[in-house]
Amino acid sequence: MTITLAAIEHILNMLSFSFILIVILINIFSAISSIFGFGETLELRNSSEIGLFFCFFCTTALLIFLWIESGFFPLTNLRESLAFLSCVSSLIYFILKTRNNQNELNKITITSTILTQAFFAVWGLFFSPEIPKLKILVPALQSLWLLMHVSIIMVGYVVLIIGCLLSIAVLILMATNDAVSKEIESRILDSAKGGLTMAETLDLVEYYRKYFPNYFKIDFIEDLDSWSYRTISIGFALLTLGILCGAVWANEAWGAFWSWDPKETWALITWITFGIYLHVRMNQNWKGKNVAFIAFIGFLFIWVCYFGINLLGIGLHSYGSFN
Amino acid sequence: MSPSLNPLRTKFSSPLKSPSLYNLCNSRNLHLRLHLSLQTRCKQGSTQQQKPNPKKKIVLFGAAPPVSEEKDRQVSSRDGGTTSSSTPSAWRIVKRVPKRALALLANLPLAIAEMGAIAALMALATLVEQGESLEFYTSKYSEENPVLGFFTWKWIVYPGFDHMFTSPIFLGLLVLLGASLMACTYTTQIPLVKVARRWSFLQSSETIRKQEFSDSLTCASVQDLGAILMGHGYEVFLKGPCLYAFKGLASRFAPIGVHLAMILIMAGSTLSAAGTFKGSITVPQGLNFVIGDVLAPIGFLSNPLDSFNTEVHVNRFYMDYYESGEVSQFYTDISLLNFEGKEIMRKTIRVNDPLRYGGITIYQTDWGISALQISKNGEGPFNLAVAPLQRSGDFKLFGTFLPTGESDSSGKVKGISMLARDLQSIVLYDEEGKFVGVRRPSSKLPIEINGTKIVIEDAIGSTGLDLKADPGVPIVYTGFGALMLTTTVSLLSHSQVWALQDGSTVVVGAKRNRAKREFSKEMNVLLNKVPELVGTNDAIES
Repeated sequence: MTITLAAIEHILNMLSFSFILIVILINIFSAISSIFGFGETLELRNSSEIGLFFCFFCTTALLIFLWIESGFFPLTNLRESLAFLSCVSSLIYFILKTRNNQNELNKITITSTILTQAFFAVWGLFFSPEIPKLKILVPALQSLWLLMHVSIIMVGYVVLIIGCLLSIAVLILMATNDAVSKEIESRILDSAKGGLTMAETLDLVEYYRKYFPNYFKIDFIEDLDSWSYRTISIGFALLTLGILCGAVWANEAWGAFWSWDPKETWALITWITFGIYLHVRMNQNWKGKNVAFIAFIGFLFIWVCYFGINLLGIGLHSYGSFN
Repeated sequence: MSPSLNPLRTKFSSPLKSPSLYNLCNSRNLHLRLHLSLQTRCKQGSTQQQKPNPKKKIVLFGAAPPVSEEKDRQVSSRDGGTTSSSTPSAWRIVKRVPKRALALLANLPLAIAEMGAIAALMALATLVEQGESLEFYTSKYSEENPVLGFFTWKWIVYPGFDHMFTSPIFLGLLVLLGASLMACTYTTQIPLVKVARRWSFLQSSETIRKQEFSDSLTCASVQDLGAILMGHGYEVFLKGPCLYAFKGLASRFAPIGVHLAMILIMAGSTLSAAGTFKGSITVPQGLNFVIGDVLAPIGFLSNPLDSFNTEVHVNRFYMDYYESGEVSQFYTDISLLNFEGKEIMRKTIRVNDPLRYGGITIYQTDWGISALQISKNGEGPFNLAVAPLQRSGDFKLFGTFLPTGESDSSGKVKGISMLARDLQSIVLYDEEGKFVGVRRPSSKLPIEINGTKIVIEDAIGSTGLDLKADPGVPIVYTGFGALMLTTTVSLLSHSQVWALQDGSTVVVGAKRNRAKREFSKEMNVLLNKVPELVGTNDAIES
């Protein structure tokens, strides 16, 4: 057989890159056309989803071929973990879509999925070594814990990224909506103090619907906020599980739970940030923008922890490094 | 929750129910409690009920928020409630001090600030190199050329940031966070357990309407509602016209469990840090050592164990290799001998698979080559000690030297050099330092160098073992397991439903601690299923 496994992987990588490029172009095109008033067509959105599905298929196939080639579960270096990240991201999108079929949530998740897939495709093609050498797994990585720890952390990252993107959407929407919401709030407070009759209340509501169309946008913002909270809760639980698995593995392998390795430290910093996010929500005064900002900081920390540390290539986690 | 600006949400989302005026006056927003004359009708329906002490019941549920509500309100209400005791005033003052301290520590913003400070210090620790010498810091962060204009070495060394994770500031913050956790658990969460265990029925329609979600069903019976709720997995309690149902009680206690698990982990790691014995040793194959000789205490609580008397004998050390030649795994066959010399345990350990005995764990962490066994010109075998030449990460190089002549005038000795990267193959160089050949110890092939016939009999490896006796490990593992479990459980939601049969109308109130916005939709779907009783007399007490 003249086609080697490496060539197949390269082809799959290029295919996923092309699909995701097409998907991005379709989305940009539909966004531009809706801005300029031509309206979105349903067929375009469906085709972008079909493109995403093909990309997911290629990425999964790539993972499987990497698995076959090396004999180890494909989570041992940066390229493989990125492939895993984008694969899980697409998977979560499809699961959420079939369960809820809520359009708004889908839009955010599909955005995050597309971006992750694109990032992986570009990285895999242009920044990794062209042909992966025959991979050897150092003795410390030969353990079932590798599978558990890294995969749970990856899934946790995906869920947290989705939650943070929802919060970022809240921030963006709120930035444009502050003036209107303040107006509405003050009006309602005034009216509640006065003590209205039923007819007056109905008039008031009609008034709002007519003159403040952004009213439902506020509703949407609250929906986004609530989804962000739920998603980040799930992601936080997964991150906790992953960090604890890592600690137990470290104890089994090296005799120390926690070595204050840069990656471990940043994982803990990310964990604390999302812990702060969950707790700040209890204080009524802090709702809204501040909470979403904390989620945004958490988003940056995730990328520092996952990617930034690997690029530095130091510490016990240097297996996943760039070099 | 931010003021919800939608008074008519319930109306829009339940088209099947007649939009009665009751719907309009129900709202999730406290700001929009419109006082209508219609509300007096609700009150009349309940006048035959709790005139005796309605206030007590209402205050109980008004002031006992679910786990996710503000903590400060709860603390102050408890403080106000418990000072009405008849103890002497001096004792009361003394008792108030720890209560004050507790209230201070349990303050949520303080805890958040502590967490933020810990995170910031950890981030700083990754940016500043840890554990270097003083000269390193004075040269890198010198006073002539400070980073960011002011950050000199004094900023790093004096507060202890060069060894951040054992510095007093960091450890002090951790202790403070632990104290806050304990205070919060004690003052806020444990009382909630008491409240949650006493589930009371709500006896007045007005209280029911004050819940986060409330609605009323005309021409319905509370028993039907109970049946529907049971079908949805609720546990239903029916007493006369009053109904109480809940689902998912575990998630109410899960946050307490999370905090307790974290306290357990912190306690375990403190014990670990104060009471561990640690040591490492490189043992050539075939030799022994006594465990107690190797281990050294690292904290003040360290107590030697009985198993320290055990002797460890390295039976065999060997490695597996990949086809490309890199090391795949290294193994050590270990026997444990007790004080009398009897073998009590034997195991082959490798990385990720340590040996555990009597509170001591032996890990395989490293390896080396200790000696080369060669025979020269048929004589031997001789053991040549091998020295490590270069160690950078996983790449090792060992070498040894076999002298073949007398030393010359300058003191140098001529001989044959042998280098090895692992136990597989030895590279031999002659007296001038030129490469001669490679031999594998297993092949026993001779090699001729400068007239000397060398046969490499064996390469004797040495194993690098790390030993540890850690009393805190069981506690920390328990804390880990508890944390994993409780974090997962706290994702579930705890829903409560109250209902009151008011004539032919059922007034329903409900609340949930997670996913609150979707709750109203789900409750509406559920309430739509309650059958409407046709043809009943509207027996409204006037």
